[in-house]
Amino acid sequence: MSDMDILFLKAALVVYLISALGYMCSLYIRRVLVAKVSTWVLFAAFVFHTMFFVFRYIKTGQTPVVSIHETLSFFAWAMAGIYLAFQLKTKTRVLGAFVSPVTFLLMIVASTGLGGHVSLPGILQSNLVPVHVILAVIGEALFALASCAGAMYLMQEGLIKNKRMSSFIRIFPSLTDLDRINHLCLMWGFPLLTLGVLVGSVWARTAWGSLWQWDPKQVWTLAAWFAYALLLHQRLAIGWKGRKAALFSLLVFAILLISLVVINLFFVTAHSFI
Amino acid sequence: MNIILIGMNHKTAPLEIRERLSLACGDTVNPLIEIMNIPQIKEAIYLSTCNRVEVLANAVDEKGAMDKLKAFIFNHGNLSPEEMARCLYLYYDHEAVRHLFRVASSIDSMVMGEPQILGQVKDAYRTAVEHNTTGVMLNKVIHHAFRTAKRVRTETGIASNAVSVSFAAVELAKKIFGSLKGKTILLIGAGEMSELAAKHLIKYGVEKIFIANRTYARAVQIADNFHGKAIEFDRLQDKIQDVDIIISSTGSPGYVIDVSMIATALRRRKNRLLFLIDIAVPRDIDPAAGDIDNVYLYNIDNLQDIVDGNLQSRKQEAEKAEAIIEEEVSNYREWYNTLEVVPTIVSLREKMEGIIRGELSKSGSWMENLTEQERNNIEILANSIINKVLHDPITSLKEESRDNGALPYIAAIRRLFGLD
Repeated sequence: MSDMDILFLKAALVVYLISALGYMCSLYIRRVLVAKVSTWVLFAAFVFHTMFFVFRYIKTGQTPVVSIHETLSFFAWAMAGIYLAFQLKTKTRVLGAFVSPVTFLLMIVASTGLGGHVSLPGILQSNLVPVHVILAVIGEALFALASCAGAMYLMQEGLIKNKRMSSFIRIFPSLTDLDRINHLCLMWGFPLLTLGVLVGSVWARTAWGSLWQWDPKQVWTLAAWFAYALLLHQRLAIGWKGRKAALFSLLVFAILLISLVVINLFFVTAHSFI
Repeated sequence: MNIILIGMNHKTAPLEIRERLSLACGDTVNPLIEIMNIPQIKEAIYLSTCNRVEVLANAVDEKGAMDKLKAFIFNHGNLSPEEMARCLYLYYDHEAVRHLFRVASSIDSMVMGEPQILGQVKDAYRTAVEHNTTGVMLNKVIHHAFRTAKRVRTETGIASNAVSVSFAAVELAKKIFGSLKGKTILLIGAGEMSELAAKHLIKYGVEKIFIANRTYARAVQIADNFHGKAIEFDRLQDKIQDVDIIISSTGSPGYVIDVSMIATALRRRKNRLLFLIDIAVPRDIDPAAGDIDNVYLYNIDNLQDIVDGNLQSRKQEAEKAEAIIEEEVSNYREWYNTLEVVPTIVSLREKMEGIIRGELSKSGSWMENLTEQERNNIEILANSIINKVLHDPITSLKEESRDNGALPYIAAIRRLFGLD
């Protein structure tokens, strides 16, 4: 019983792999049907993954989003969940070929550090920390999905614009659907990230004594936040659509990735805990 | 198998001969009634489309029936025997079944994979059913043909890609806009191809259509056909910024729409995607307009390239379709072969059941002492013994029949059990 969480994590990992392979296969043989099946497989993986969180919570008694590995697994979970939610409305099956490999890779990294029990340093034992992580990670997952849709948009757009009638055009979703997903992800991701950062700084004030530390991670996140604000403004007020918006959302996500990955790996930051 | 098929199609007979035949059959007589007058024919289906005239029949004497059918076609088509030999194809048994499956699956069509033919075969079948000219054999084979056609459609890409310019335009529009519901078109100029494209777009959900023409009266006339709205030619700029798709096919020697018109429109429509289809020769829309962001410009050659590519890929898919058809023909043959053992199996069962009934009634006197429950149990026991005994011989008979080798076994069983 005590290892149920790990069992579900492993199951989710395997099923994520199957769905990623299924999506790849659908791209390779150019049949949407395989992608449809893979969507259901991804849903199964998502359910297993959710069970992991439930059992993890029961076992440890703390919201399992605090350590770096837990956060990565939560990131993967949020991405898969949001993608699946989109499938209810717009049938952009093949987009999963971009989403599922990312979730699988995140899960691989996450699973390496989720074996034992993580004891939190005292400073993180605050109710604000999980709230901060959940808001920020869901926001970032939305941005990740926005850039998946953006990347796919650019590919499909290039094919249509240059009249390259490969069979990819047929299985890729329509430009309008991809643009809509990109747009919606930005619309939801931005306020969530904003709230996440605000909650984080409220916590920082109680833990470190000030709202803002000019920590490299904070600086890069702020840069990405401004860039997203600009993109959202261009989209809503100026009427940026399609190619330009897709390209820009990819560039901004690159900044966000620096904050998420590069900083934690190569810089000294107050944000690396466990 | 007793199934025969006679006919001519676009590959074997020129249009005027097919025409003569289908006209003669359509107007003056009901061909089915005449065909059913042939004594050797038990069931018949008559199929006539622009590209083919065919008769599928279940005949007692295949050769004799075929000769009569030839004579029937000879009479109506006014053909000389030489001409007839060149135009007609005759198929017997599984060859006939295969041909039917190929026709229904649209492999034999002029435009391979076109969807109408299956509907036409269904109509022909319905007519035959209404005239009561079908029975067990043709019902079975035609339903098998429908099933094969469905498999070919879903398992191969034979029907998936547009093979006409107007459909290629619809497919592109769907790849740009997703759903076409609520989208609007502007039709500039007139022409068969552009109107066809507009018609298809409307079929797929486009809601509003505007028509511009140098002659306003002509625009009004076309607008009436489409339930659209005619607009003045000099108001083109205003409309370009509203609509989603523009189809242009004027006879104008120069560009009707230049880059600045599109650039202005795009700015005003806040960069909403715009799909331009230029069917005119010489071109109506400055090709440089296609370089503007969020504008997709296709001319007639671009669309034709798509169609050519799709035709090519349909040919590749056709190979897969042929394999499916082969598989289904052999499924059908298996089913057909089991038919010959069915009467023997039935009479074997009847004989056994008769024996049970006889023995039970003989034992009636002493069985009266038993309760109803006990009598039922004895009956059930007797039946299950018979079923167990018959199980192996019946299974083997069915197995043998699949390879067409059941006849000696049938003879042996009939003799051993005294079934004749």
